[in-house]
Amino acid sequence: MLIAATPDNEAERLAALHALLILDTPAEARFDKIVAFAAAEFDVPVVLITLVDSQRQWFKSRVGTEVCETGRDVSFCAHAILQPAIFVVNDTHRDPRFADNPLVTDGPLIRFYAGAPLIMPSGLCLGTLCLIDRRPRELGAMELGILGTLRDLVVMELGNISEVTDA
Amino acid sequence: MPSATMHILLVEPEPMLRRTVAMTARSLGLGQVHEAATSAAALRLLSVRRFQGAVIAVECVGSGKDSRYDLGLIDRLRAEAAAAEQALSIAIMTETATPELLSDLRERQISRVILKPFRAKVVLETIEKICRSQKA
Repeated sequence: MLIAATPDNEAERLAALHALLILDTPAEARFDKIVAFAAAEFDVPVVLITLVDSQRQWFKSRVGTEVCETGRDVSFCAHAILQPAIFVVNDTHRDPRFADNPLVTDGPLIRFYAGAPLIMPSGLCLGTLCLIDRRPRELGAMELGILGTLRDLVVMELGNISEVTDA
Repeated sequence: MPSATMHILLVEPEPMLRRTVAMTARSLGLGQVHEAATSAAALRLLSVRRFQGAVIAVECVGSGKDSRYDLGLIDRLRAEAAAAEQALSIAIMTETATPELLSDLRERQISRVILKPFRAKVVLETIEKICRSQKA
Protein backbone atom coordinates (compact mmCIF):
# COMPACT_ATOMS: atom_id res chain seq x y z
CA MET A 1 0.00 0.00 0.00
CA LEU A 2 1.25 3.44 -0.88
CA ILE A 3 0.61 6.10 1.75
CA ALA A 4 -0.13 9.46 0.14
CA ALA A 5 2.49 12.18 0.27
CA THR A 6 1.78 15.30 2.32
CA PRO A 7 0.94 18.36 0.19
CA ASP A 8 3.62 21.06 0.10
CA ASN A 9 1.11 23.58 1.43
CA GLU A 10 -0.11 21.30 4.24
CA ALA A 11 0.12 23.93 7.01
CA GLU A 12 -1.88 26.48 5.01
CA ARG A 13 -4.31 23.80 3.88
CA LEU A 14 -5.02 22.66 7.43
CA ALA A 15 -5.32 26.26 8.63
CA ALA A 16 -7.95 26.92 5.94
CA LEU A 17 -9.82 23.73 6.81
CA HIS A 18 -9.84 24.45 10.54
CA ALA A 19 -10.89 28.08 9.92
CA LEU A 20 -14.12 26.82 8.34
CA LEU A 21 -15.15 25.41 11.75
CA ILE A 22 -16.87 22.59 9.91
CA LEU A 23 -15.08 19.51 11.26
CA ASP A 24 -17.24 17.32 13.52
CA THR A 25 -20.36 19.41 12.86
CA PRO A 26 -23.76 17.74 12.28
CA ALA A 27 -25.04 16.73 8.86
CA GLU A 28 -26.52 19.52 6.75
CA ALA A 29 -29.21 19.17 4.09
CA ARG A 30 -27.37 21.42 1.61
CA PHE A 31 -24.47 18.95 1.47
CA ASP A 32 -26.58 15.81 1.88
CA LYS A 33 -28.73 16.64 -1.15
CA ILE A 34 -25.62 16.84 -3.36
CA VAL A 35 -24.37 13.49 -2.08
CA ALA A 36 -27.78 11.86 -2.53
CA PHE A 37 -28.02 13.23 -6.06
CA ALA A 38 -24.55 11.84 -6.89
CA ALA A 39 -25.43 8.39 -5.52
CA ALA A 40 -28.53 8.23 -7.74
CA GLU A 41 -26.86 9.79 -10.78
CA PHE A 42 -23.87 7.42 -10.78
CA ASP A 43 -25.67 4.43 -9.24
CA VAL A 44 -22.90 3.87 -6.69
CA PRO A 45 -23.40 2.48 -3.17
CA VAL A 46 -21.15 4.99 -1.39
CA VAL A 47 -20.71 8.74 -1.88
CA LEU A 48 -18.82 10.97 0.54
CA ILE A 49 -17.84 14.56 1.09
CA THR A 50 -14.50 14.08 2.83
CA LEU A 51 -12.39 16.68 4.55
CA VAL A 52 -8.77 15.63 4.96
CA ASP A 53 -7.55 16.57 8.43
CA SER A 54 -4.01 16.10 9.79
CA GLN A 55 -4.41 12.46 10.82
CA ARG A 56 -7.85 11.51 9.54
CA GLN A 57 -10.40 12.04 6.81
CA TRP A 58 -13.75 13.13 8.20
CA PHE A 59 -17.02 12.84 6.28
CA LYS A 60 -19.20 15.94 6.24
CA SER A 61 -21.84 14.06 4.27
CA ARG A 62 -22.18 10.37 3.48
CA VAL A 63 -24.38 7.85 1.74
CA GLY A 64 -23.83 4.11 2.11
CA THR A 65 -21.68 4.00 5.25
CA GLU A 66 -22.22 4.55 8.96
CA VAL A 67 -18.53 5.35 9.50
CA CYS A 68 -17.88 9.09 9.95
CA GLU A 69 -14.07 9.06 9.57
CA THR A 70 -11.06 6.88 8.77
CA GLY A 71 -7.32 7.26 9.23
CA ARG A 72 -5.51 9.44 6.70
CA ASP A 73 -2.88 6.74 6.19
CA VAL A 74 -5.39 4.49 4.38
CA SER A 75 -7.27 7.33 2.71
CA PHE A 76 -7.80 7.39 -1.06
CA CYS A 77 -8.81 11.05 -0.74
CA ALA A 78 -5.36 11.88 0.66
CA HIS A 79 -4.08 10.92 -2.81
CA ALA A 80 -6.86 12.80 -4.58
CA ILE A 81 -6.05 16.13 -2.90
CA LEU A 82 -2.54 16.05 -4.39
CA GLN A 83 -3.75 16.84 -7.92
CA PRO A 84 -6.22 19.28 -9.47
CA ALA A 85 -7.87 16.71 -11.76
CA ILE A 86 -10.42 14.12 -10.66
CA PHE A 87 -8.52 11.12 -9.25
CA VAL A 88 -9.87 7.81 -10.57
CA VAL A 89 -8.95 4.25 -9.65
CA ASN A 90 -10.92 2.04 -12.03
CA ASP A 91 -10.04 -1.24 -10.29
CA THR A 92 -8.18 -1.27 -6.99
CA HIS A 93 -7.29 -4.94 -7.42
CA ARG A 94 -5.20 -4.00 -10.44
CA ASP A 95 -3.55 -0.99 -8.83
CA PRO A 96 -0.46 -1.75 -6.68
CA ARG A 97 -0.98 1.50 -4.74
CA PHE A 98 -4.28 0.25 -3.35
CA ALA A 99 -4.58 -3.53 -3.84
CA ASP A 100 -3.57 -4.30 -0.24
CA ASN A 101 -5.20 -1.23 1.32
CA PRO A 102 -7.39 -2.37 4.25
CA LEU A 103 -10.32 -0.40 2.78
CA VAL A 104 -9.97 -2.68 -0.26
CA THR A 105 -9.23 -6.03 1.42
CA ASP A 106 -11.71 -5.47 4.26
CA GLY A 107 -14.84 -3.29 4.61
CA PRO A 108 -16.00 -1.29 2.67
CA LEU A 109 -14.27 -3.41 -0.04
CA ILE A 110 -13.50 -0.50 -2.33
CA ARG A 111 -13.05 -1.64 -5.91
CA PHE A 112 -13.67 1.66 -7.72
CA TYR A 113 -12.89 5.17 -6.53
CA ALA A 114 -13.35 8.60 -8.12
CA GLY A 115 -12.50 11.66 -6.03
CA ALA A 116 -13.03 15.24 -7.21
CA PRO A 117 -10.77 17.54 -5.19
CA LEU A 118 -12.51 20.36 -3.29
CA ILE A 119 -10.25 23.21 -4.36
CA MET A 120 -11.24 26.49 -2.76
CA PRO A 121 -10.84 29.86 -4.54
CA SER A 122 -7.60 30.25 -2.56
CA GLY A 123 -6.22 27.22 -4.41
CA LEU A 124 -6.10 25.13 -1.24
CA CYS A 125 -7.61 21.66 -1.47
CA LEU A 126 -9.57 20.65 1.61
CA GLY A 127 -10.97 17.24 0.65
CA THR A 128 -13.03 15.55 -2.02
CA LEU A 129 -16.45 14.64 -3.27
CA CYS A 130 -15.91 10.96 -3.96
CA LEU A 131 -17.74 8.01 -5.47
CA ILE A 132 -17.03 4.46 -4.30
CA ASP A 133 -18.23 1.20 -5.82
CA ARG A 134 -17.63 -2.44 -5.00
CA ARG A 135 -17.13 -3.35 -8.64
CA PRO A 136 -14.69 -2.04 -11.25
CA ARG A 137 -15.97 0.92 -13.24
CA GLU A 138 -14.93 3.54 -15.74
CA LEU A 139 -16.22 7.08 -16.09
CA GLY A 140 -16.64 8.74 -19.48
CA ALA A 141 -16.02 12.42 -20.22
CA MET A 142 -19.63 13.36 -19.56
CA GLU A 143 -19.69 11.55 -16.20
CA LEU A 144 -16.44 13.21 -15.18
CA GLY A 145 -18.02 16.53 -16.16
CA ILE A 146 -21.06 15.83 -13.98
CA LEU A 147 -18.88 14.84 -11.03
CA GLY A 148 -16.87 18.03 -11.53
CA THR A 149 -20.08 20.08 -11.47
CA LEU A 150 -21.28 18.43 -8.26
CA ARG A 151 -17.87 19.10 -6.75
CA ASP A 152 -18.22 22.77 -7.75
CA LEU A 153 -21.57 22.88 -5.95
CA VAL A 154 -19.93 21.51 -2.79
CA VAL A 155 -17.15 24.10 -3.05
CA MET A 156 -19.77 26.85 -3.41
CA GLU A 157 -21.46 25.64 -0.22
CA LEU A 158 -18.12 25.53 1.62
CA GLY A 159 -17.53 29.07 0.37
CA ASN A 160 -20.83 30.14 1.88
CA ILE A 161 -19.58 28.94 5.25
CA SER A 162 -16.44 30.95 4.75
CA GLU A 163 -18.44 34.08 3.96
CA VAL A 164 -20.52 33.65 7.10
CA THR A 165 -17.37 33.14 9.16
CA ASP A 166 -15.80 36.28 7.73
CA ALA A 167 -18.88 38.44 8.34
CA MET B 1 -18.03 18.86 -29.51
CA PRO B 2 -20.91 20.97 -30.90
CA SER B 3 -20.68 24.73 -31.04
CA ALA B 4 -20.97 26.53 -27.70
CA THR B 5 -23.27 29.12 -29.27
CA MET B 6 -26.31 26.84 -29.30
CA HIS B 7 -28.98 28.10 -26.94
CA ILE B 8 -31.03 25.39 -25.25
CA LEU B 9 -34.02 25.90 -22.98
CA LEU B 10 -34.24 23.54 -20.00
CA VAL B 11 -37.50 23.54 -18.06
CA GLU B 12 -37.20 21.37 -14.96
CA PRO B 13 -38.59 22.04 -11.47
CA GLU B 14 -35.94 20.09 -9.54
CA PRO B 15 -33.09 22.58 -8.92
CA MET B 16 -30.25 20.09 -8.42
CA LEU B 17 -30.87 18.34 -11.74
CA ARG B 18 -31.44 21.62 -13.58
CA ARG B 19 -28.31 23.26 -12.18
CA THR B 20 -26.13 20.19 -12.73
CA VAL B 21 -27.18 19.90 -16.37
CA ALA B 22 -26.70 23.61 -17.08
CA MET B 23 -23.28 23.83 -15.41
CA THR B 24 -21.99 20.60 -16.95
CA ALA B 25 -23.19 21.57 -20.43
CA ARG B 26 -21.27 24.80 -20.06
CA SER B 27 -18.10 23.10 -18.80
CA LEU B 28 -18.18 20.54 -21.63
CA GLY B 29 -18.93 23.17 -24.28
CA LEU B 30 -22.21 21.52 -25.30
CA GLY B 31 -24.09 24.79 -25.54
CA GLN B 32 -25.64 27.51 -23.43
CA VAL B 33 -28.40 26.00 -21.32
CA HIS B 34 -30.97 28.50 -20.05
CA GLU B 35 -32.74 27.31 -16.92
CA ALA B 36 -36.39 27.69 -16.04
CA ALA B 37 -38.12 26.06 -13.10
CA THR B 38 -41.63 26.57 -14.48
CA SER B 39 -43.46 27.15 -17.75
CA ALA B 40 -44.11 30.73 -16.65
CA ALA B 41 -40.38 31.32 -16.18
CA ALA B 42 -39.72 29.70 -19.56
CA LEU B 43 -42.22 32.03 -21.24
CA ARG B 44 -40.36 35.00 -19.79
CA LEU B 45 -37.12 33.67 -21.30
CA LEU B 46 -38.90 33.14 -24.62
CA SER B 47 -39.82 36.81 -24.74
CA VAL B 48 -36.16 37.83 -24.83
CA ARG B 49 -34.40 34.98 -26.67
CA ARG B 50 -34.83 32.37 -29.38
CA PHE B 51 -33.72 28.81 -28.74
CA GLN B 52 -32.37 26.13 -31.05
CA GLY B 53 -33.60 23.35 -28.79
CA ALA B 54 -35.52 22.63 -25.62
CA VAL B 55 -35.78 19.93 -22.98
CA ILE B 56 -39.01 20.32 -21.06
CA ALA B 57 -40.37 18.48 -18.03
CA VAL B 58 -44.05 17.92 -18.76
CA GLU B 59 -46.40 17.62 -15.82
CA CYS B 60 -49.88 16.27 -15.50
CA VAL B 61 -52.29 18.99 -14.36
CA GLY B 62 -55.78 18.62 -12.95
CA SER B 63 -57.19 15.47 -11.38
CA GLY B 64 -59.35 12.51 -12.27
CA LYS B 65 -61.07 12.71 -15.65
CA ASP B 66 -59.98 16.32 -16.06
CA SER B 67 -56.26 15.53 -15.74
CA ARG B 68 -54.15 16.33 -18.79
CA TYR B 69 -50.56 17.03 -19.71
CA ASP B 70 -49.73 20.69 -20.02
CA LEU B 71 -48.28 21.04 -23.51
CA GLY B 72 -48.93 24.78 -23.82
CA LEU B 73 -45.26 25.71 -23.65
CA ILE B 74 -44.41 23.25 -26.41
CA ASP B 75 -47.15 24.72 -28.62
CA ARG B 76 -45.85 28.20 -27.97
CA LEU B 77 -42.26 27.17 -28.83
CA ARG B 78 -43.44 25.49 -32.04
CA ALA B 79 -45.49 28.52 -33.05
CA GLU B 80 -42.60 30.93 -32.50
CA ALA B 81 -40.16 28.68 -34.36
CA ALA B 82 -42.59 28.36 -37.28
CA ALA B 83 -43.09 32.12 -37.42
CA ALA B 84 -39.32 32.59 -37.53
CA GLU B 85 -38.92 29.69 -40.00
CA GLN B 86 -36.42 28.23 -37.56
CA ALA B 87 -35.70 24.55 -36.87
CA LEU B 88 -36.36 23.57 -33.27
CA SER B 89 -35.69 20.21 -31.59
CA ILE B 90 -37.74 19.50 -28.48
CA ALA B 91 -37.31 16.64 -26.00
CA ILE B 92 -39.55 16.12 -23.02
CA MET B 93 -39.21 14.54 -19.59
CA THR B 94 -42.18 12.84 -18.02
CA GLU B 95 -42.94 10.36 -15.26
CA THR B 96 -44.98 8.06 -17.47
CA ALA B 97 -45.82 7.95 -21.16
CA THR B 98 -49.48 7.16 -21.78
CA PRO B 99 -50.66 6.34 -25.33
CA GLU B 100 -52.60 9.62 -25.35
CA LEU B 101 -49.52 11.61 -24.38
CA LEU B 102 -47.36 9.86 -26.97
CA SER B 103 -49.96 10.63 -29.63
CA ASP B 104 -49.98 14.30 -28.61
CA LEU B 105 -46.18 14.37 -28.64
CA ARG B 106 -45.98 12.82 -32.11
CA GLU B 107 -48.24 15.59 -33.41
CA ARG B 108 -45.82 18.09 -31.95
CA GLN B 109 -42.72 16.46 -33.48
CA ILE B 110 -41.03 15.71 -30.17
CA SER B 111 -37.59 14.24 -30.82
CA ARG B 112 -37.18 12.29 -27.58
CA VAL B 113 -39.11 11.28 -24.48
CA ILE B 114 -37.05 10.86 -21.29
CA LEU B 115 -38.75 8.81 -18.60
CA LYS B 116 -38.08 8.78 -14.85
CA PRO B 117 -35.68 8.34 -13.14
CA PHE B 118 -34.22 11.47 -14.70
CA ARG B 119 -30.45 11.46 -14.83
CA ALA B 120 -28.25 14.41 -15.69
CA LYS B 121 -26.25 12.23 -18.08
CA VAL B 122 -29.32 11.32 -20.13
CA VAL B 123 -30.45 14.95 -20.30
CA LEU B 124 -26.94 16.03 -21.33
CA GLU B 125 -26.75 13.35 -24.03
CA THR B 126 -30.09 14.61 -25.33
CA ILE B 127 -28.81 18.18 -25.41
CA GLU B 128 -25.67 16.99 -27.21
CA LYS B 129 -27.84 15.27 -29.87
CA ILE B 130 -30.03 18.36 -30.25
CA CYS B 131 -26.96 20.53 -30.78
CA ARG B 132 -25.52 18.11 -33.32
CA SER B 133 -28.79 17.88 -35.24
CA GLN B 134 -29.11 21.66 -35.34
CA LYS B 135 -25.55 22.03 -36.55
CA ALA B 136 -25.96 19.40 -39.30
